[in-house]
Amino acid sequence: MAAAAVRSIGSTLGKNLREIRLHLCQTSAASKGARDFVEQHYVTLKKSNPDFPILIRECSGVQARVWARYDFGKEQSVAVDNMSADQVASALQTLVQSKP
Amino acid sequence: MLRLPNVGRALAGAAKSSLAGNTVRTSVRAASNMVEVFVDGKPVEVEPGTTVLQACEKAGIQIPRFCYHERLSVAGNCRMCLVEIEKAPKPVAACAMPVMKGWNILTNSEKTRKAREGVMEFLLANHPLDCPICDQGGECDLQDQSMQFGSDRSRFTEGKRAVEDKNIGPLIKTIMTRCIQCTRCVRFASEIAGVEDLGTTGRGNNLQIGTYVEKMFMSELSGNVIDVCPVGALTSKPYAFTARPWETRKTESIDVLDAVGSNIVVSTRGGEVMRVLPRLNEEVNEEWISDKTRFAYDGLKRQRLTQPLVKDDSGQLTPTTWEDALTRVAGALQSVQGSEVAAIAGGMADAESLVSLKDLLNRLNSESLCTEELFPTAGAGSDLRSNYLLNSRISGIEECDLLLLVGTNPRYEAPLFNARIRKSWLHNELRVAMVGHQVDLSYSYDHLGEATSILKELADGTHPFCQTISAAKRPVIVVGSSALQREDGAAILSTVSTIAQNARASSGVEEGWKVLNVLHRVASQVAALDLGYKAGVDAIRNNPPKVLFLLGADAGCITRADLPQNSLIIYQGHHGDVGAPMADIILPGAAYTEKNATYVNTEGRSQHTRVAVTAPGMAREDWRIIRAVSELAGVTLPYDSLEEVRSRLAEVSPNLVRYDDVEEANYFKQANELSQAVNQDLLTAPLVPPQLSAKDFYMTDSISRASQTMAKCVKAVTEGAAAVEEPSVC
Repeated sequence: MAAAAVRSIGSTLGKNLREIRLHLCQTSAASKGARDFVEQHYVTLKKSNPDFPILIRECSGVQARVWARYDFGKEQSVAVDNMSADQVASALQTLVQSKP
Repeated sequence: MLRLPNVGRALAGAAKSSLAGNTVRTSVRAASNMVEVFVDGKPVEVEPGTTVLQACEKAGIQIPRFCYHERLSVAGNCRMCLVEIEKAPKPVAACAMPVMKGWNILTNSEKTRKAREGVMEFLLANHPLDCPICDQGGECDLQDQSMQFGSDRSRFTEGKRAVEDKNIGPLIKTIMTRCIQCTRCVRFASEIAGVEDLGTTGRGNNLQIGTYVEKMFMSELSGNVIDVCPVGALTSKPYAFTARPWETRKTESIDVLDAVGSNIVVSTRGGEVMRVLPRLNEEVNEEWISDKTRFAYDGLKRQRLTQPLVKDDSGQLTPTTWEDALTRVAGALQSVQGSEVAAIAGGMADAESLVSLKDLLNRLNSESLCTEELFPTAGAGSDLRSNYLLNSRISGIEECDLLLLVGTNPRYEAPLFNARIRKSWLHNELRVAMVGHQVDLSYSYDHLGEATSILKELADGTHPFCQTISAAKRPVIVVGSSALQREDGAAILSTVSTIAQNARASSGVEEGWKVLNVLHRVASQVAALDLGYKAGVDAIRNNPPKVLFLLGADAGCITRADLPQNSLIIYQGHHGDVGAPMADIILPGAAYTEKNATYVNTEGRSQHTRVAVTAPGMAREDWRIIRAVSELAGVTLPYDSLEEVRSRLAEVSPNLVRYDDVEEANYFKQANELSQAVNQDLLTAPLVPPQLSAKDFYMTDSISRASQTMAKCVKAVTEGAAAVEEPSVC
């Protein structure tokens, strides 16, 4: 499911988006989904979008959150704590497809 | 100093174990092994081998001392720490005597006080009475302790001994008559700095400290002997006769002249930086700082940009008002969009101004935000923090058993990191190997060669040294940022990443141990990469902008020739160095002593400076300038106060506001996987770091290039200490 979401994102990250930032905690249970997402799908995602910044910023105790920056510095974010890797992928997919 | 681990440990082991937070491995002894002693009748439990002085320290009583220093080996020659042990016939030197079970140490008995008074009297017999003109006055151990423990009258009528002063370079002033022969400087030089320049000659009354033949005390850490000296024999030459400690205001801050982020205290008087001293931080710089950190502060007073400047029709930069300059900048920004505007951040830009500038340009739909320092963007690039940090941390070097340096010269790129390596080499039998140009690191290492093919062999496992690597229990690999700035930087990072992965697999070390490390050279780089700046100016070279914003960019990566004819260059920064002369509009910013600013060191440790003095003339804090520009350009940034900027920093990268904390970075496997996909070959050019010898160390950035003291150092290193002319008063 997650793999499908990641595949459907494919190389379209850069279409609407300018940058993705993923905040997550290195150890907390709430960030587990986000960590799994990075471990399973980050490499695939980066390989199909080699020049697109996917900034993974680890920081202890932060709420897992995906930040998306669009044209003209507009930003949106979605909290992804307590989600599974699949849910993180679909949250990302929503951000990729939305246009502010 | 000879590397004799066992002897060294016997001497220094006890001393080290008392250090708080010291990570030198000491075996855990069972609690039952503890020895009970009494300090003035009060029972204390200490480890066997603890000295009397440390036992007293544990009981909360400080014994007076001159020669004893907790980071140096024990000399025991000043005799100031004599204390009485109950039932012992003679007083003992507390710093050198290990405690025995049941001893009662009398720290304030009649005999102890008499012994101290006697020692004090002998020390003062030959010490000049020039305290009123001595620079140590007010922070002199001899002064303080003679007030506390000395006699109230002198019995000496004989003449005092006099010793000729030595010229040991442009940084340290010697008044050798004041020397009490504690030998702390000699021990510092041979143990910490790793240079055998200082020593003693003669005996008894004729004992002298010196270099034997007249020469410069040649170390990048030489300034620390000023702090180590308990009297005024070694003082700071640039600081001589300028201020007294009680009239200066001390501000705790962070150094930004290299990527170590040494903790410092800035002493100021009347809006002027008088000197820079180290501040204790066991994790970073312990209690030392490099000479550049300590002495480059005079560069803060020269070549400064103090008012906004605008280039007029004749091509001359003329002073103007902030209103005019800001309106021009805003006007220029309003007329461009997207990749027509770009920015380059220099080596001393703080995180606050970096995030403001990035937000401003993002609002103009531009993504061309670059740092001067290059870092391979192929593979994971700056996505994963572990890819560009010194993950093992500076103090982690004390836990490793094999260190492989690749294309770096840590002695001059990060002197305090090198001091840590030396410490571990000396006390923990750390084995160091190096791929890169052969340089003097102040300790011995296996030089594997400087060809890139050696890296390839190490990665393939065909090099003979691979056996040593695979035998290591806790390997660490440090690659210099300069090696990654070559054309084949991505290939080097990829190869080193493979060596690290292999080493980690063969060592069987626990999950949390980090093998791969990058050693940066400039203070701004990690914060800039954390914030999402692109490393290197290739994006700008390939896509020349109409408006270029230089934020303290003084490395000269981009010149006028790289840009279209009518392009506009805006320079914001504190020094008129390389970047400012080519600018059309100059906005004067604040230096690191003049702003509250966040810097992240090469470990990823976020720290912040504090305002010690106000910025000169009309110069302003950098992020406020960018905030003002944004308002006039019609894209107002949503923050007004320092707290609001910092909460924006947290939105971009939360680790930036976790001050004094290092946030773990992981995902090495992912980074390595991506780096394997990098399709680049290693070039045959040898790995040569840019700073090879001492003369390359002193002047590396806009502040140290403006410093006269640093210029004198370069002259003294190349032409000898005698070549530097000093005013006769010194």
